[in-house]
Amino acid sequence: MSLKVDQTATAFTFKGGMLPMTVMELNSPDPERISAQLAGKLSQSPAFFQHTPVVLSVEKLDDTALALERLCAVCRSHKLLPVAVRGGSEGIKQSAWALGLGWFPPQESRESRTLESVTPPPDRVPAASSAPSGGRIFRGTVRSGQQISAAEGDLVVVGAVNAGAEVLAAGSVHIYGPLRGRALAGIHGDRDCGIFCHELHAELLSVAGNYKRLEDIDPSLLNTTVQVRLRDNQLSIEALV
Amino acid sequence: MARIIVVTSGKGGVGKTTSAAAIATGLALKGNKTVVIDFDVGLRNLDLIMGCERRVVYDLVNVIQGEAGLNQAMIRDKRTDNLYILPASQTRDKDALTLEGVEQVLDKLSEDFDYIVCDSPAGIERGAQLAMYFADEAIVVTNPEVSSVRDSDRILGLLASKTRRAEQGQDPVVERLLITRYDPNRVDSGDMLNLEDIQEILAIKLIGLIPESEAVLRSSNSGVPVTHDQDSDAGQAYSDTVARLLGDEKPLRFHQLQKKSFLSRIFGGGRR
Repeated sequence: MSLKVDQTATAFTFKGGMLPMTVMELNSPDPERISAQLAGKLSQSPAFFQHTPVVLSVEKLDDTALALERLCAVCRSHKLLPVAVRGGSEGIKQSAWALGLGWFPPQESRESRTLESVTPPPDRVPAASSAPSGGRIFRGTVRSGQQISAAEGDLVVVGAVNAGAEVLAAGSVHIYGPLRGRALAGIHGDRDCGIFCHELHAELLSVAGNYKRLEDIDPSLLNTTVQVRLRDNQLSIEALV
Repeated sequence: MARIIVVTSGKGGVGKTTSAAAIATGLALKGNKTVVIDFDVGLRNLDLIMGCERRVVYDLVNVIQGEAGLNQAMIRDKRTDNLYILPASQTRDKDALTLEGVEQVLDKLSEDFDYIVCDSPAGIERGAQLAMYFADEAIVVTNPEVSSVRDSDRILGLLASKTRRAEQGQDPVVERLLITRYDPNRVDSGDMLNLEDIQEILAIKLIGLIPESEAVLRSSNSGVPVTHDQDSDAGQAYSDTVARLLGDEKPLRFHQLQKKSFLSRIFGGGRR
């Protein structure tokens, strides 16, 4: 996991990289509706909207009615940074290029692989060594079906994370209460972070894409106070005394 | 201004309609002018539980679509003064309900009534969301089993985000837990979740506990809300629940294992 290999005399090296990227799949071309929905999301998880790069996917749309420039402005005004467009007609491709955006061909297979979309594969180089700034504190019970995330820094939950709920952070996840749902730390690939909780009963634990399911967890650790971190590429769960 | 109470659960078959009917009846018996609305468009049941299925002419969808007035659609309960029922339509589906229409109906009812009890359909889709959207209070009905508890947890998440109070940043909807079909014997043998575990997971205030009781099915089938059956444990438990809803302190009953006498063990004395 040494990161120093590419520091040679050349001015730069091209590297293939798989960076986690948010795809905004549009169901409507109407900028007003998109803006209204973004405003709602912004109030729910402000941490996510920090000039987050997004790919606008127009595959589901009849794109003749799409005003790409207007749409980009709407995204930017909500602190989302459109970097590329996926799918659409030749016209969309040309206007994307004219706006300085990249263009990707439409995605062929569309199985839903939600887990992988949020947890990068284990062998990935960290996207950025994000400083533990930002972060987020959530007070209360995270309920089934809810997702609480910190796009930067650590997430602190003061309360329970119930079964069917999901908490994610770029940094570590700290839970001052029982963890019964899913917890994912280091979602951008940071391998030095961990998960800390008072009462372990997690459906899933993941640090930088290395995960364990409830089934894989040593039963003697259940309902105890633990920390979860990476040791030699293995997810290790240790009692916290 | 009426208090709008939604009776909801996420999961089906846990006793939402039974509880809505029993609580509305209890509120009316205490002298509050109460209307209970069936939001389960397409799967209308409240009229059966309330025993007024033969008197339904117009329904909620007719009112929303302007085909009938509220007073034409509301059915006056024969047993209890101050109690009215607004039935759902059986021939339509949930898409026939609109947010504006529901708001108008609730606003109109608010002028006359003290309590509006909304009987939510199961699920978390449109029907359930419309039933909870305008609520001031929510009674989350939960059975002592894991799937019901998880679904209730999900509904509590929606109550905190998908209601008018949440969207407009007002005081949150008051959330209360009603545990139904509780059987202390099965809790004791480990078949059912116990009261403390449910409360720990859901982390909201308990408003009542209804024991598993033969009286509930009997009253459903006869169309008399179980609150009228004050000889039964379930009827008394619903009365306690209503009293707590109105602000009285009532000790919890029916949650502990009852010692059976030698004779009743032999003859299997059932719960009344």
